[in-house]
Amino acid sequence: MKMDEIRPTSGPAQHAAVAAAARTLRHEAPLLAGVLAALLALTWAFAGDSFALNILATAFLFGGVATAWNVIGGLGGQFSLGHSVFFALGAYMTANLVLHAGLSPWLALVPAAALAAGAAALVSWPVFRLRGPFFAIATLAMTEVMLSLSTYFDALTGGAQGLSIPFRRGFWNMIFVDRMSYALLMLGFLAVCLLAMIVVTRSRLGYRLRAVRDNEGAAQAAGIDVLRVKLAGMAISAALTGVGGALFLMQVRVVDPPALYSLFDVGVKVALLALIGGIGTTYGPMLGALLVIPLESWLRAELGGALPGMNLAALGLVLILTALFLRRGIVGALRGLRRPAILARRPRPAGEAAR
Amino acid sequence: MTEILNILALGLLLGGIYALVSVGLNLIFGVIRVVNFAQGEFVMLGMYGALAAQVALGFDPYLGAVLILPALFALGCAVYWLILRPLQGEPMMQIFATFGLLMLIQNAVLAATGGAAFSVNSSLAVGSVALGPVQVGTGRLIVLIAATVVTGGLAWYLNATWHGKAIRAVAQDRAAAKLMGVNVQRVYTISFGIGAALAGLAGCLLAPLYSMTPQIGINFILPAFAVVVLGGLGSVAGAYLGGFIVGLTEAFSGYYLDPALKHAVLFVVFIVVLVVRPQGLFGHAGAEEVGLREDG
Repeated sequence: MKMDEIRPTSGPAQHAAVAAAARTLRHEAPLLAGVLAALLALTWAFAGDSFALNILATAFLFGGVATAWNVIGGLGGQFSLGHSVFFALGAYMTANLVLHAGLSPWLALVPAAALAAGAAALVSWPVFRLRGPFFAIATLAMTEVMLSLSTYFDALTGGAQGLSIPFRRGFWNMIFVDRMSYALLMLGFLAVCLLAMIVVTRSRLGYRLRAVRDNEGAAQAAGIDVLRVKLAGMAISAALTGVGGALFLMQVRVVDPPALYSLFDVGVKVALLALIGGIGTTYGPMLGALLVIPLESWLRAELGGALPGMNLAALGLVLILTALFLRRGIVGALRGLRRPAILARRPRPAGEAAR
Repeated sequence: MTEILNILALGLLLGGIYALVSVGLNLIFGVIRVVNFAQGEFVMLGMYGALAAQVALGFDPYLGAVLILPALFALGCAVYWLILRPLQGEPMMQIFATFGLLMLIQNAVLAATGGAAFSVNSSLAVGSVALGPVQVGTGRLIVLIAATVVTGGLAWYLNATWHGKAIRAVAQDRAAAKLMGVNVQRVYTISFGIGAALAGLAGCLLAPLYSMTPQIGINFILPAFAVVVLGGLGSVAGAYLGGFIVGLTEAFSGYYLDPALKHAVLFVVFIVVLVVRPQGLFGHAGAEEVGLREDG
């Protein structure tokens, strides 16, 4: 976003932009505050139930990462399946800073975000030449490259064994005994991601990302630097995802390549959470996470114990049915209820403006 | 010298495996441009089919192909008709739907087998053949020969038969093909079925070489996409050569760098080719845009 704002504009225009941003936040703030208050109440309702709080913490974390994915995937229309790379970079950066430099995880979040954003800009720069499925396949290939490299450079990553953070409780160490603290931590992360999504959506960058998504050629003809807009969107998305990876590390205190790069655990999962919730909408990815993560735990407990794999097979079926019948996600379907069918039928499923 | 010949042979045999695994995807993604991430699962189903045919009927895995080919053809047709036909012209939704299918098939097999690893034996696949100073496993040699024959057959089919011409016509311009009297949906369905059947054939031929797990399909899918895209979209011969490029890259980087890095090297090469020549090494310019942006 900053990349975009640094441009010589005259004073009055800048004032107008600031006023518009403030107006936007005034419009969006009540809804955001309401959503967060509801989630806080939900968390409180489960106080003392460690199992439920763990699930909520995971749902908030992945809701946040799916929201971050949505910045480039939803607004920008660039369907990355390689966000696990940025997630892993954030986790490894934090682990190294905590283990070898003795830094507090809170301070490590900043370099973790910076590394993820920098890496994202670097690797996306060539890959953004590709469109549609080719972009998605290239981001998957990127994940494979990073998986190999992470296993190979074991001095930084602990190789196949992974890295573990010793248990030293305390706020400064971001290690807690009660699960409530983790749920609140992840809720805070989700709040930051939602706020970032709202700000980007209503900023100049957000409009440009949507212009690029809807018609790249027309956006370019209108004077938009397409590559720069995509890179800025990707960097913001990756920075938040890197923070998500760092928080994931602090929650589970051990990370290894299979956990970080397994397709269904991070890279593809965040994209499918966004899809199920509603790609391009502000609260869709969060809704997707709040539904799918508890469903997943429930299925694992109910089916996975009896027949290993049945829980994931059921999830696969959910994914197929979503792609077939709920293409605009839960939020899209809810909106469709309020609107005459003829208006709800749009040619592009992701072409819905985010609100 | 023998060392290099050995690596070369290893790479070529590996290339044969990749070429065979990719030949179905070559038709499905390379020619008709339907994105199918579940293609590796079709290979896996072919392997388990060979196992089932051996356990239940005492068939040799190679003989099992006579049952597996029609079964996977039918499965492919059903998958296209039920899942991919409604998502025509929306490659991103195809990615999500076929990822769902991948999860469904992989984990259904996991639930059915309880996760135990299996292997099948064939009297044909044991032993090795001496080619000059290099010893070549018979099973792998059979795969290499089969990949060559199947690729030749596919090229002949696409170029010489009416149905093959119809497939290419539909890939190039759906509306014009329809006006020429081609039943577009039938062509797509049958092509997808053939692609799935070819994956099943690959599974049969690979069954004696690998120890089977439900997760094995995922090891094939990204290399297969790499092979099809590297070789050149829409070019059958290109994808065959792409298989050898991938196999040789893996063999040489595994030997000279580090076995742990062979996939990193392979996929970096893949990304570089994808970025520099999106149409692939042997594809026509602009081939990457064909068939993905049409509506109706």
